Amino acid sequence: MWSTAREIAAGDTVIIWLTRELVQPLVVTPGKDFNSKFGNYRHSDFVGMPYGSKVGSRTGKGFIHVLRPTPELWTLALPHRTQILYIADISLIISYLDIRRGSRVIEAGTGSGSFSHSVARSIGSSGHLWSYEFHEARAKKAKEEFAQHGMSDIVTLTHQNVCKDGFNLTDTVDSVFLDLPAPWDAVEHAKQALRKDRTTRICCFSPCMEQVLRTVSALNDAGFSDITMYETLVRPQDVSPIPVLQSINDVADKLKKAEGIREIKRLRQIAAGQRHNSNNNNDPHGEKRKRTSSDGEQEVPLVADGEDSGNGKRLKTDDEDMMDDVLEDSAAPAATPAKISLSKTIPEVRGHTSYLTFATLLPSMPIPPAAPTAAQGASPSQGF
Amino acid sequence: MNASTSTAEFNTRASSVQSGNTILLRLPNGDPKAVKIDKDCNVSLGRLGSFYANELINEPFGRTYDIIDKKLTLIPPRSLAEVEDTDATNEYINDGQFVQPLTLEEIQALKQSGAHASEIIKMQIEQHANYSLKTEYSKEKYKKRKEAKYSKSFTTIEPTLFNVCEYWFKKDQTRIRDIRVDTLSQILNMANIRPGGRYLAVDDASGLLVSGILERMGGSGRLITIGNSDSPPAYPVMVNMNFTAETVAPLSSLNWATADQSHTPLVPPVDVAPDQIKSERQKSRLNKRKAATDLLFSIREELFAGEFDALVVASEYEPFSIVEKLVPYLAGSASIVVQSPYGQILSELHSKLRALPGYLCPSVTEVWLRRYQVLPGRTHPTMNTSGTGGFILHAIKIYDDENANAITSFRRQKPTATSSSSSSGKIIIASDTLDASMEDADE
Repeated sequence: MWSTAREIAAGDTVIIWLTRELVQPLVVTPGKDFNSKFGNYRHSDFVGMPYGSKVGSRTGKGFIHVLRPTPELWTLALPHRTQILYIADISLIISYLDIRRGSRVIEAGTGSGSFSHSVARSIGSSGHLWSYEFHEARAKKAKEEFAQHGMSDIVTLTHQNVCKDGFNLTDTVDSVFLDLPAPWDAVEHAKQALRKDRTTRICCFSPCMEQVLRTVSALNDAGFSDITMYETLVRPQDVSPIPVLQSINDVADKLKKAEGIREIKRLRQIAAGQRHNSNNNNDPHGEKRKRTSSDGEQEVPLVADGEDSGNGKRLKTDDEDMMDDVLEDSAAPAATPAKISLSKTIPEVRGHTSYLTFATLLPSMPIPPAAPTAAQGASPSQGF
Repeated sequence: MNASTSTAEFNTRASSVQSGNTILLRLPNGDPKAVKIDKDCNVSLGRLGSFYANELINEPFGRTYDIIDKKLTLIPPRSLAEVEDTDATNEYINDGQFVQPLTLEEIQALKQSGAHASEIIKMQIEQHANYSLKTEYSKEKYKKRKEAKYSKSFTTIEPTLFNVCEYWFKKDQTRIRDIRVDTLSQILNMANIRPGGRYLAVDDASGLLVSGILERMGGSGRLITIGNSDSPPAYPVMVNMNFTAETVAPLSSLNWATADQSHTPLVPPVDVAPDQIKSERQKSRLNKRKAATDLLFSIREELFAGEFDALVVASEYEPFSIVEKLVPYLAGSASIVVQSPYGQILSELHSKLRALPGYLCPSVTEVWLRRYQVLPGRTHPTMNTSGTGGFILHAIKIYDDENANAITSFRRQKPTATSSSSSSGKIIIASDTLDASMEDADE
């Protein structure tokens, strides 16, 4: 499909990874430039680089990654012409329909070719995909892309309305995938196209339950068995290292310390106020007594910051030393906490893509040999 | 109009039952059972009885058979019955009442007389005190339960990867590390497993990953697995796949010692002087030993030559040690896919990979799957469902460029005529990026 060489060559389709949300295809064409908000690049710079290289911009700021295309990256990078299938549905369908090397598969409609590339990858050069698209412009675009990606030998794209006109195939394919608004209209055509000599499978991809119910009816009427239905989704995880959770005992200790500090500060302010008063007034107790309120509560005098606070102008008492220590302890920054990696599902996830209705067509019952009758005479029985 | 068939149609396994296969049969109660099919032998199915294995050989998969006198009769497939809505309710149906007058002895006698399951069930229904009161849905359920109990039929299950994975998941999901069908499918797609690809795998999930990879390689390409024992790894899931020899041929195995580039495996001597060889038997033994040693060393060389397309891991061991060891042997742009039953294991791995330059966009996802019963008038999600399919981490190996700067890195402003002569002429505009550097912007 795409290049398997180690290095990028002119003409290769590559995948440019800018960010998780910005992934785009590029055909390496020497002479052309690639400019983006992550820098400026010349296509010719990519030639000769190994796939998977991180490339710095010519301006020195910004970089991109140049990757080898895979169907999964193509699904992220492809230009959407329709709503597309993503990896969860694609991978489950491929598994259930038993698509592998050599498989013969029908797909309708082609859409933007997301599913088509996955099928082509899995069936290899000995398998075949018949893909049908009823919209002419989209069919043309898909055909171009298949050709560009080296898929023309294994994919036959037909511009056709399969509900009206069928698949033009009989007893040929191992599996059928229908992504159509009214898949029940294509069920009989699908049955005709499927092989009858072994178990074959079908998948109908529909967003609404009403479509599922109608499809189940049609499949049952057509003789399919083991009809079942699945939904599948992906839940991306947000991983972040966070500090180890703190115990409430530590929090309680901190609060208690804070209480202690507040008390110390309060007492200091009182002490400072007292010194202030004794400095201004020879009676150390007088003013204080006068200030005592009637209910015995002591008021805390307001003392301006810096005034008579424990500075170098006088020696500290033992009590004041201890208070300072506690204040310093509480002011010291905590040691960097250990971290653990935690994950949780991202806040917004895709809630629904479509229901996948699967069914099986069992190999035809063997025809019992016809008993020769007298009327037929001696001629051997005809083949059926 | 039929398309022309391609030249050689490769199949990873036969499309019909073959002698030597271990195949899955679905019993009347819905449970799958693995049985060995050997030519000219009998297959025993316990209560259902036994039958001649030859009856199944060359039969396509998916058919249902009745066992009568050890021979098999093909039963045509049944379609879903349209069940009509009636006014019946369970208003007057009381539990605990004796409703089934057929005694155990009577039922045993019927069974022994060779009465077909349908006859036994018919008699039970006729004698059932409350049967007519039931809703049509309830009647269907009753009949289905009785069929599961009395019928002597089974259905062959095709050994597709989906069916085999589902069988193992129901049987014992811890042995396959919770890898459910959707998990396995996504792993194989994320790793771009395809015919002709070259892969490294660490499979402690009973060989489920290996089976998936070999199936999708279709006999073309290469798969080297690394495990923890010095004897060849047992991959029991592969038994149920019934692969052809060509499908398994691309597989080789090493262990963590023989896969170590800095270690030379100790092997018994192979070079013995010709005059020392005492017997033909000894000679043949030496030749075998030499072949095994040559093979071991050639597999090692192949691993060390690298450029593998993907690494797939489902292991009991610490995953970063595995990734770190094997990523040098991957090509650029190769996928690294690691599965674990536990999100915490992959969160740790994610944090480690994110901090290193050689891994692009590590991401962890959880898989979610819901199955519905789709029966006319009775469509709803299944009552029993799987709680977990594990978690997947995906990253892409890249070749780092140390000189490349992020778009938000420190910018250098060119010195102007009016600027003061600071030694470097740089005016720093701070940014919040992690990998900003102070290097000269001009090349």
